[in-house]
Amino acid sequence: MVKKLMKGNEAIGEAAIAAGVRNYFAYPITPQSEVAEYLTWRLPEVGGTFVQAESEVAVGNMLFGAASTGKRVFTTSSSPGISLMQESLSYMAGAHLPVVLVNIMRGGPGLGGILPSQADYFQSVKGGGHGDYQLIVLAPSSVQEAVDLMILAFELADKYLAPVMIIGDGMIGQMMESVEFPEKYRDESNPDEKDWALTGAKDRKPRIVKSLFLNPEELEINSLTLDKKYREMKKSETRHELYKVTGDTKILITAYGTMARICQTVIDELEEEGISVGLFRPITLFPYPEKELFAEVIKDNIEYILDVEMSTGQMIEDVERIVKGARPIDFYGRTGGIVPSPNEIKDKIREMLKK
Amino acid sequence: MSTGLVTTGYTNMAGSANISYPIISKTIVALVGGFGSGKTEVSVNLAKYLAATQQSPVTIADLDLVNPYFRSREAVAEMEAMGIRVIAPRGGQFFADLPILMPEIKGAIEKTDGTLILDVGGDAQGTRALGSLAEVFGPDQYEMWMVLNSRRPQTSDLTGCLNTMKRVEASSQLSFTGLVSNSHMIDETDNEVIVEGYRLAGAVSRETGLPLAFVSAKRSVLETIDTGVFECPILPLTRSMLKPWERKETGVDDQSNNQRT
Repeated sequence: MVKKLMKGNEAIGEAAIAAGVRNYFAYPITPQSEVAEYLTWRLPEVGGTFVQAESEVAVGNMLFGAASTGKRVFTTSSSPGISLMQESLSYMAGAHLPVVLVNIMRGGPGLGGILPSQADYFQSVKGGGHGDYQLIVLAPSSVQEAVDLMILAFELADKYLAPVMIIGDGMIGQMMESVEFPEKYRDESNPDEKDWALTGAKDRKPRIVKSLFLNPEELEINSLTLDKKYREMKKSETRHELYKVTGDTKILITAYGTMARICQTVIDELEEEGISVGLFRPITLFPYPEKELFAEVIKDNIEYILDVEMSTGQMIEDVERIVKGARPIDFYGRTGGIVPSPNEIKDKIREMLKK
Repeated sequence: MSTGLVTTGYTNMAGSANISYPIISKTIVALVGGFGSGKTEVSVNLAKYLAATQQSPVTIADLDLVNPYFRSREAVAEMEAMGIRVIAPRGGQFFADLPILMPEIKGAIEKTDGTLILDVGGDAQGTRALGSLAEVFGPDQYEMWMVLNSRRPQTSDLTGCLNTMKRVEASSQLSFTGLVSNSHMIDETDNEVIVEGYRLAGAVSRETGLPLAFVSAKRSVLETIDTGVFECPILPLTRSMLKPWERKETGVDDQSNNQRT
């Protein structure tokens, strides 16, 4: 297939179609609106449906209802819109529904601004909704990876019967890069193969999809069932990437999304100056690649960790939890929609080396 | 309009001896394209080329109304340093996702004593804004060129290009006067992409009868290919809309500013 130049938001829409999705519910918000714009004409071409809801609250409830039928469903939004979906997200997790959500993050809190941000790490990874639940959280750093992770997200949602969230800073949605899609697109999913889906109870026992369990023993069983899934995810689904981590690496940067790409430029340029810096990039933010990160940081040559984020410091709490004081951890971040420049991060590293 | 070359940068290009640069004979040049066409990069590079080679003043106006990402403050500063007048939203509005039509644009059209370049978004907002300015255009005063990129899904074949152009003409109530072939894959642009786009633009030209105003492409790639295959003027581009992790390439207009730190 010829490589095309696509905006991240368009590519995310096309990737859903490649994953066999025909049902999309959304409400426009910058910087993700091009997903909806793209799918208004693209979904009808493949017999799919896009419903523009009256609000993100309604989107969440539409997702719950549509996912209950066993069809693949998804939405895209940006930070404030994702906040409005937290209640239904908790319900979907509790009801074991496979749903994919994409958050193209903008600067917050509140209405904030429309430029890139990574300030929704806590919301996605630590649970913005109520109850004992987790989301699988995937963080692409390029348009191609956004496409690949979209396709993976639907597989993981089906495998674990759980909501999966893709978080990308505004750059992921807005930038143009070359992309390739699979040669063969997946067919639309078949609800008849799912023993939980609400497909009409003719000639079989009725099924119920719910998150309400008034009996405390039943509710505890549901929570323990969820917990078992999360443990299985932690064992089998962690993903990460290393960049220029060698036996000489002194400083290990932890960064995700497009922030990691800025750090790669930093690493390349410091390498020319003879300063050896490497990158640990988590691709799954939940389950976090804990063992993998710990194994890297305790190597003798690693002296410092530098966590870099487009926030005032959120992922760093997980890094600190995993490193457990084995190495000193420093932080560099910009927020409000300001993307740290390679030069700022280089200055920070030079300053660290002076200590 | 295009007089003798003021700076030397635009004459010597490694690998291909004498390329002919675009000749602009009208006072207003509207470059129209959807996102990913590269119209902003083409507009900025054309403005810089004209500013370096002609005596009369050059103005560039941002009519890409709703696209705050990849507006480049640095590119604005660079153009202003070259004496180009830049009409674009300032302050917080520079990064607002609102359709902001600068009132100065109308004034600039009414009293053009040089060349006015309009960077027009190919969406309905951009083209309608262009249409609303059309009453102040003299009929023979302007060029309206479609910027085509064969690697964008909606302009990857003849039908797609023709449909896109028809849509723009319908909402702007103006007719195209020419084409710009700007096929690219940003940093992955190669010889094949440029030539393939040139062929497609040629087919659009034959179908519509519109001339190919120029082919534009990254200077560093043009330097590696035989530009003799292009039977039209050429505009070499130096990228100014960079992603946060990208560094500037050395180009004619930034020879003094190519250090990596």
